[in-house]
Amino acid sequence: MGRTREDKLLNPKPGSRIAAAREYGIDLTQIVENLRLTPAERIRRNDQAVNSILKFAEAMRRAKTAAKEIKLR
Amino acid sequence: MINLFEIARLLSQAGVEFVIVGGVAIRSHGGNYITEDLDICPSRTRDNLKRLAGVLAPLRPRPRGLLETLPFVFDWSTLQHGTNFTFATSMGDVDVLGEVKGIGNYDDLVKDSITVDLDGFPTHILSISGLIIAKEAAARPKDEAGLKVLYALRDSENDEE
Repeated sequence: MGRTREDKLLNPKPGSRIAAAREYGIDLTQIVENLRLTPAERIRRNDQAVNSILKFAEAMRRAKTAAKEIKLR
Repeated sequence: MINLFEIARLLSQAGVEFVIVGGVAIRSHGGNYITEDLDICPSRTRDNLKRLAGVLAPLRPRPRGLLETLPFVFDWSTLQHGTNFTFATSMGDVDVLGEVKGIGNYDDLVKDSITVDLDGFPTHILSISGLIIAKEAAARPKDEAGLKVLYALRDSENDEE
């Protein structure tokens, strides 16, 4: 019996393209987690991730603005 | 708030004929790619462009990078008179592509797509092999990581790794 998709991703054969992806720095455990979701859930997770990143970026922008104001005082 | 899922769902709900390509497509296949824009290739028939414009218009689309002070009229004829558009909308960026390098237009893409369910609305998403062809044809350095993910997704599906 062949290996499951998850097994192939979590334990890639040396020299395979999957192994190459891991060596490149792709986190294959995240892909395994994504594959357990429906396509709709995967897109929603993307939106949540983007919105979180944008919130961080906005917090950084505010922090930099506040720091500049303190320097000016 | 970015809501690419809702844009795609609204398009499908309205009966727009389109194929999702790019980052959202990679994500839909299981990739851990994070993207801020929805790339779609619609059928360019007059009726379809009217349906597409009808969904996007309430989202106040404007070409990204265009000064707010410059006038811009968005309707179906705007879409008809161009091929590729990069819009900023109230729900996130939407790129409307007339064709995809390496594959072709909507009619070519839809043959190489899978259909997924977005809250009850069937939606075409370019296949993993199609995405690989498109990314390889584009040959952009920024796609290198995405291609690695796509190869891993494809090979994990196959009997041979």
